Amino acid sequence: MRKSSKEAVLLLLAIPILLWTLLPIYHIFLFSISSKDSAFSGTLWPDKPTLRNFGTIAYQEHFYLHNFWVQIWNSLWIAVAAGVITLVIASCAAFAISRLKVRGGRAVMNLALFTYFIPAAFLAIPMYKAMGAYGLLNSRWSLVLAMVTLAAPYAIWVLKQASDKLPFELDEAARIDGATPPQLFRLVYLPLMAPSLVAIGTYALLLAWNEYLYAYLLLSHERTITLAVALGHFIAADDSPWELLMATGLVFALPPAAIYYAFRRYMVAGLTSGAVKA
Amino acid sequence: MAAVSFHAVKKAFGKTRVLHGISLDIADGEFMVLVGPSGCGKSTLLRMLAGLEDITAGSIAIDGRVVNDVESKDRDIAMVFQSYALYPHMTVRDNMGFSLKLRKENRKRIDEGVARAAQILNLQPFLERHPRELSGGQRQRVAMGRAIVRDPKVFLFDEPLSNLDAKLRVAMRAEIKALHQRLKTTTVYVTHDQVEAMTMADRIAVMNDGRIEQLGEPLELYDRPANLFVAQFIGSPAMNVFDGLLRASHGKTWVQGLGTQWPAAAVPAGSDGRKVKYGIRPEHLELSGSGVAAEVLVVEPMGAETEFLVRVQDQTFTLVTHGRAGNGPGDRIYLVPQARHAHLFDAASGDRL
Repeated sequence: MRKSSKEAVLLLLAIPILLWTLLPIYHIFLFSISSKDSAFSGTLWPDKPTLRNFGTIAYQEHFYLHNFWVQIWNSLWIAVAAGVITLVIASCAAFAISRLKVRGGRAVMNLALFTYFIPAAFLAIPMYKAMGAYGLLNSRWSLVLAMVTLAAPYAIWVLKQASDKLPFELDEAARIDGATPPQLFRLVYLPLMAPSLVAIGTYALLLAWNEYLYAYLLLSHERTITLAVALGHFIAADDSPWELLMATGLVFALPPAAIYYAFRRYMVAGLTSGAVKA
Repeated sequence: MAAVSFHAVKKAFGKTRVLHGISLDIADGEFMVLVGPSGCGKSTLLRMLAGLEDITAGSIAIDGRVVNDVESKDRDIAMVFQSYALYPHMTVRDNMGFSLKLRKENRKRIDEGVARAAQILNLQPFLERHPRELSGGQRQRVAMGRAIVRDPKVFLFDEPLSNLDAKLRVAMRAEIKALHQRLKTTTVYVTHDQVEAMTMADRIAVMNDGRIEQLGEPLELYDRPANLFVAQFIGSPAMNVFDGLLRASHGKTWVQGLGTQWPAAAVPAGSDGRKVKYGIRPEHLELSGSGVAAEVLVVEPMGAETEFLVRVQDQTFTLVTHGRAGNGPGDRIYLVPQARHAHLFDAASGDRL
């Protein structure tokens, strides 16, 4: 009896919070299925719902959408590259620090984490200068490298915590069985770390996918920018096509949602697994 | 197969000295058990032999070759861990064949090796399963299988039975023993359980505090413990020990203690008046109509034999008799120690007289 009444209270709290969270998303959805004229009608459901906005996006039939497919491809390319490179760097680093116990490894990890004391926004200008010096401005690689820089410290830390939980006897057994460190890494360590790797890869991928500030600074050409930056351009004009902005925004949100849904099991397990030292 | 020898082996972790110069020769094909309480350095010694710990000083040789600077994988050893350390993402087959795969053996050779080991250990039905789908005893056998497949010069076991329940432990004990008798591979086995040591070993090295207290065959350690530590560590229930004064006169030897006389075997001349520890095993105390008076505290009937916990003054004794007990708690009984089975140790050093 008491348990169910407690649950009822929690439910009563949860429903308004859920509605509050979903309201903006519903708004986006509402805009995206409205025609330009009825977008601001204020009704809870448009009189004549339409999918035309999505057609406009797909066929790039608007000034702001002329490079839609190139831009979404840029976003995808950069996000996947950032995810993969972060994974490679972080898994190697975590393996070296946690399993091979390389001297000074922990110090390096702590130094990397220390960079989080400086807000990423402050680092944007130095990063811009650095990329300029390397001649990478307006190249996808500039954003990939910047995102890897931002994601790697956290990724290393989470993977290191997760690696610490693998029994050390496994490494010893493999060493006696004749495994060299690279073989140990490839044949024993990586397969056992798979859940954490999925979580961290997804984390870095989504970080890069959603990035706006760095993308805006480092990429400036119509055909090199990411979709996130392109969305920003919509509001630069006096008469912004809100219904198209919202429709594009909805499309932009779909890949992360799909990825999160596909890997949700790993996300929860992986991101919390490193949090507490058991 | 190969002999193993430790020569003046020392180990220190930073400033903490763990092993103080261990010398030990293990014969080809011998089953050597290192036994001692936790923290005595037995596992460290085994891990040094395995190449998992550096050797601070001294040398370790396998088959006549000093292996101090040889990598684990090149020492031609196989180790069974307490936690089994099976690779969780591999099937039993892949677990057992992993070392051969790393050695780049061809598929056929790997299959043959795994099949042979699986047959020895009755693991054929489980080859395609993952470790998580196996019981504790089966995992234990897979861990042994992984060692057998390699056909190493030396088997190393680090407390392999500690994670099993009592019944399975007894069964696996016999299985390991039978395996050794079949393969005759030199084996070094670490345990804290003296029963395992007694039942399995060709020879036992009893370790304490980084030193070997005594090295010998199981019954030799049992019958003639070199010091008080070995006397009390080997044997279950443990030996009864108390302080006394050694007396020898008119061809008669006894120990004066707990307000009475305790008979002992003859000792060298000039020992009269020495402070000693008198030790007597539970099965060497007989119940009789007269002798040392004792009060029964607890009676533990176990069917074939009966264990008594009794008190003489403020000293408790354990004694074991065959057959059933006619006594209960609070009863007065009389103990007769068998003089030829009494052990005498120097009170100060603990060494056997």
